[in-house]
Amino acid sequence: MNLKEWIFTTDHKRVGVLYLIGSIAAFAVAGILALLMRAELSTVGPTITANPTNYNVWLYGHGAMMILGFQIPALTGFFANYCIPLMIGAKDVAFPRVNALSVWLFYVGIILALLTFVMPDPPDVMWTGYPPYSTITTGNTAMYTFTVLILGFASIIGGVNFLTTVAYMRAPGLTWNKLNIFVWCTLGAFVLQLIFVPVLGTAVTLISLDKYLGTHFFDPTQGGDVLTYQNLFWFYSHPAVYVIFLPFIGVIYEIVATFSRNRVFNYKMVVYGGVFGVVALSGEVWVHHLYVSGMADWLRIGQMITTLMISVPVGLLVIGLVGTLYKGSISFETPMLYALGVLFLFLIGGLTGIPLAVTSLTVHLARTYYVVGHFHYVMAVAGTFAIFAGVYYWFPKVTGRMYNEFWGKVGFWITFIGTNLVFWTMMDIGVKGMPRRYYDYSHFSQFEGAHQLMTLGAVILGVGFVIAVLNWIIGAARGPKAPDNPWNSNSLEWSTVSPPPHGNWPVPPSVGADWYPYGAAKK
Amino acid sequence: MAHHEGAHGVADGHAHWDTSVWPFVISFGILALVIAFSLHFVYHQDFASVLTLGLGLIMIVSGVAGWTSEAMGKGDGMSYSAMGWFILAEAMIFVAMFVTYWYLRLNTDVWPPAGSVDLPKAMPLMMTFVLVSSSLTIHYAEHLLHQGNRGGYVNWLMATIVLGFCFLGMSAYEWSHLMHEGFNIGTNLLGTVFFSITGLHGSHVVVGLAIFLAGLVSALRGNVDEGFARTAGLYWHFVDIIWFFVVSQVYYW
Amino acid sequence: MHKTTKRIPLILAGMLAATAAWAEKTASGSVIKDPAAGWDHLWREVIIDITIIGILFALMTAYFIWKYRRRPGNEVGNGPKLSAAAAVAWVVIPTFVFLSDDLYVAANGWQLWNNYREVPADRLEIQLETGMYSFDYTYPNGVRTQNELKVPAGKPVLLRMTSRDTLHNHFIPDFRVKEDSMPGRVTYLWFLPKEVGKEHVVTCASYCGVMHSYMASKIVVLAPEEFRAWYDQEGSKQGGSIKTVAENKAATASKS
Ligand code: HEA
Ligand code: HEA
Ligand code: CUA
Ligand SMILES: [Cu+2]
Repeated sequence: MNLKEWIFTTDHKRVGVLYLIGSIAAFAVAGILALLMRAELSTVGPTITANPTNYNVWLYGHGAMMILGFQIPALTGFFANYCIPLMIGAKDVAFPRVNALSVWLFYVGIILALLTFVMPDPPDVMWTGYPPYSTITTGNTAMYTFTVLILGFASIIGGVNFLTTVAYMRAPGLTWNKLNIFVWCTLGAFVLQLIFVPVLGTAVTLISLDKYLGTHFFDPTQGGDVLTYQNLFWFYSHPAVYVIFLPFIGVIYEIVATFSRNRVFNYKMVVYGGVFGVVALSGEVWVHHLYVSGMADWLRIGQMITTLMISVPVGLLVIGLVGTLYKGSISFETPMLYALGVLFLFLIGGLTGIPLAVTSLTVHLARTYYVVGHFHYVMAVAGTFAIFAGVYYWFPKVTGRMYNEFWGKVGFWITFIGTNLVFWTMMDIGVKGMPRRYYDYSHFSQFEGAHQLMTLGAVILGVGFVIAVLNWIIGAARGPKAPDNPWNSNSLEWSTVSPPPHGNWPVPPSVGADWYPYGAAKK
Repeated sequence: MAHHEGAHGVADGHAHWDTSVWPFVISFGILALVIAFSLHFVYHQDFASVLTLGLGLIMIVSGVAGWTSEAMGKGDGMSYSAMGWFILAEAMIFVAMFVTYWYLRLNTDVWPPAGSVDLPKAMPLMMTFVLVSSSLTIHYAEHLLHQGNRGGYVNWLMATIVLGFCFLGMSAYEWSHLMHEGFNIGTNLLGTVFFSITGLHGSHVVVGLAIFLAGLVSALRGNVDEGFARTAGLYWHFVDIIWFFVVSQVYYW
Repeated sequence: MHKTTKRIPLILAGMLAATAAWAEKTASGSVIKDPAAGWDHLWREVIIDITIIGILFALMTAYFIWKYRRRPGNEVGNGPKLSAAAAVAWVVIPTFVFLSDDLYVAANGWQLWNNYREVPADRLEIQLETGMYSFDYTYPNGVRTQNELKVPAGKPVLLRMTSRDTLHNHFIPDFRVKEDSMPGRVTYLWFLPKEVGKEHVVTCASYCGVMHSYMASKIVVLAPEEFRAWYDQEGSKQGGSIKTVAENKAATASKS
């Protein structure tokens, strides 16, 4: 294997694999930070560090890296890169060099995030970076700003690239209504990225301007306003959760349809109701993160209703998934296990968002572990399971080899148990009042037992993840050779050899009028 | 739809995979810039900061140069519409800036706040004139190129670049003039808004000029790409349009 | 500040006239609508609501998984190809059902929200200035306390809050209420203390710096006459003339 051809590659599949390696590395680091936090929280008072700043830095690193370094890159970097050109029958993306730039910018972002652990005065501003604290702390807020800017820029140029690719490079005969659901979902995510990331970029830039160049955007003594930042930040960061959600539900659609050997239930409802609906509503709900920030009432009532209304398109997406099981022929290999796990656990995560959407209920729930529990169910559980499902699913395509089915299932069940132990408990103590971002909970010592249970759960689920990652590493190195289409799928990416050569197909494919990407392949 | 039979032949490990070193070089150049920023502003290590900054700039410039010479003329004609998407993202940056500005301004009782100076009124008009002219010249250049007149294209492209630099020069003059009067980015909310918005716009002018220069260098070497020219022109028009917002909102409101 | 933002709600208020009028109706009347009790009630309702939805979907999924597992004789999926009418119905009907549930929840939530925002006129009004890392209260007569708030039972307490440095948040889990405080704005919250002799934990719920998790306070509920005695005694001890930053700001500030 030629290392130079990997590092300087412009091929979408290799760029994708680089994205995968980077994002799993970020996941491992951020996961270890989570374990450190859990260890710290296992007793009231200082446990493994006597300095609260250490905890705050871990929490900053954990949140920022999990979202910006792991999930968004894994979903819109790895899966999009690897699968979209293959699913639309293209040789590569529209701009392969831009693609390479985006992956290396992503690595630069990861390096910046990792520098947190070696530099003096690391950032301790949480992944939200609210001023005034972020502009007066001795921590290195510039590092936060640039990590966000660079990862954001990487993802914007990625978005431009993929929108162009899908618009112009589809195989002959592949009309919009024949695209894989995953392609639709990812396009939706990229549109969101293009519209909203720049706003986040502006917000974090303004903090550094305030802190280092002496501007007054968020400085009330000079007419600035601290709430402006929060509005700008959430104007992006709420849509960001759908940047995660859409591609991951897309992955789940691919898997559920394949392993049920079934057509997608009501394709047009899923695309035009579900995906479009989520994209359309996601920009009008950011105020639900500001319910206890002193926001004006007139913004609040409208956005409470739109937030609740998100359950409609998301509900359509869930109906589509459940409907795809109907009259299927369902088998339960590891990818499908994870996918079904997502289906159940996302219900918990999504539905626990409903009380949060209600402004008066949030008055009690905001900034507590209930919120932490909610978003870990949707992201850390559903999102991560979906990523793991997808990696298992496309593993034979990417590596040309097979992972170990037995260990795959073992890993799944261990994480499944662990996640529920941790994140259910979080919601429980949250409702009882446990605030988040607490290094020490000495005035909530009644929750010590619950915290210990969560620490135990975190270790369990960590073991499950480690098993999965080891399974991939070992499978990629010396798993048995995989057939080209082990799951017997109709989708285009399975029609080439595993792993696909440079250029993907010797002769670019074209699809006929009756072609449909879902359902069992005709023999 | 099974294409798999017969595909195995090409899959031998020796097939050629495309590579390019420049994206890598540029990315790490940017890393150097970021580290330089922290070294200067956070850790006050000015010497190290300058060194890193220089290194980063060299990497980025050579990366861009290498990239253009490698890729120029090989576009598939998709860059124009891609630029459209990119401009959407760019426009959102300005939307965020202006919304912030409007919000802060409308919630302040006295505007301009204490300590402000009168912003110049004549200079922005001249700057507008220069920038609009440059939009016309680049449009004409593209027109000539479309007719196959490469020499004319290069000439009018150079005219555009000169106008662009004039604009930057005027902007710099104006900034230094204001700073001389003791009005700078930290003076008050007006200074904050004025310098950050004009600075943001100016940085886009710089990027536009950099694109043009990259195109010019390869055009002088005889390598002209019509797709590239149109794409660069589109970006420049965008920069021009944004300027109208800057002028009307910051100088004349 | 807030010159324009004050006008916008007026315009919107016109548009939302119906809602506003209805909110008015619920807020007037002499009984004190304690949001804490309302919270518990609404919470139970919403939890039942989402549990039912969740269980329905989960049961359906589980049933399909079991029923349509791959077996001999069931090797390929045979999902329905929907007719145009069925396809549309599968969008319209769920949308209608979900939306009515959403609006029902929203209406109840908004009603409770108005209880949170409409402070009874007969109240004890206290200024709160937060800072790294303490809660500094000032009573109407100038009495100041730090990290402890004594209140009389049965009387609504209103806190007008601001901050001298970073964001903080006055969170009283027992009263189901929290609100940020920040420099440059005045925010408020109110609650109704009931049980005499009870102490309620107050914590800072907005990340505000290194010692965020140590920033806490407590509310001590006294019998009205006991409170009166303490209040007058402290008042004469501390002297009534102290004006705080918070007070001055509150005088000019608006609630948004
Ligand atoms: C992938 C990520 C993801 C997803 C998909 C969601 C989905 C949702 N989230 Fe979540 N959320 C986060 C990630 C995510 N969230 C994060 C990271 C935070 C915290 C950030 C921080 O502060 O650090 C957060 C915080 C957060 C808050 C702010 C809490 C606070 O800080 O005070 C709120 C409030 O409204 C909220 C609501 C919702 C809602 C209503 C949905 C909806 O989209 C859910 C819709 C889904 C369903 C409802 C289930 C399926 C639907 C049906 C079965 C149909 C029938 C249902 C009904 C009719 C109700 N979320
Ligand atoms: C996608 C996002 C994501 C994911 C996956 C996770 C995963 C986890 N999170 Fe995270 N979390 C966030 C996003 C996420 N989190 C965010 C956004 C916040 C808020 C930040 C803020 O407040 O600013 C947060 C906050 C947060 C808190 C709140 C702290 C506080 O408020 O004080 C806690 C506490 O327990 C926690 C715990 C965990 C745990 C135990 C996991 C576990 O699931 C992690 C398990 C993973 C591992 C243990 C790693 C396994 C190791 C490998 C895979 C390596 C294998 C390699 C080889 C073998 C070579 N998280
Ligand atoms: Cu004060 Cu947190
Ligand atoms: Cu949100």
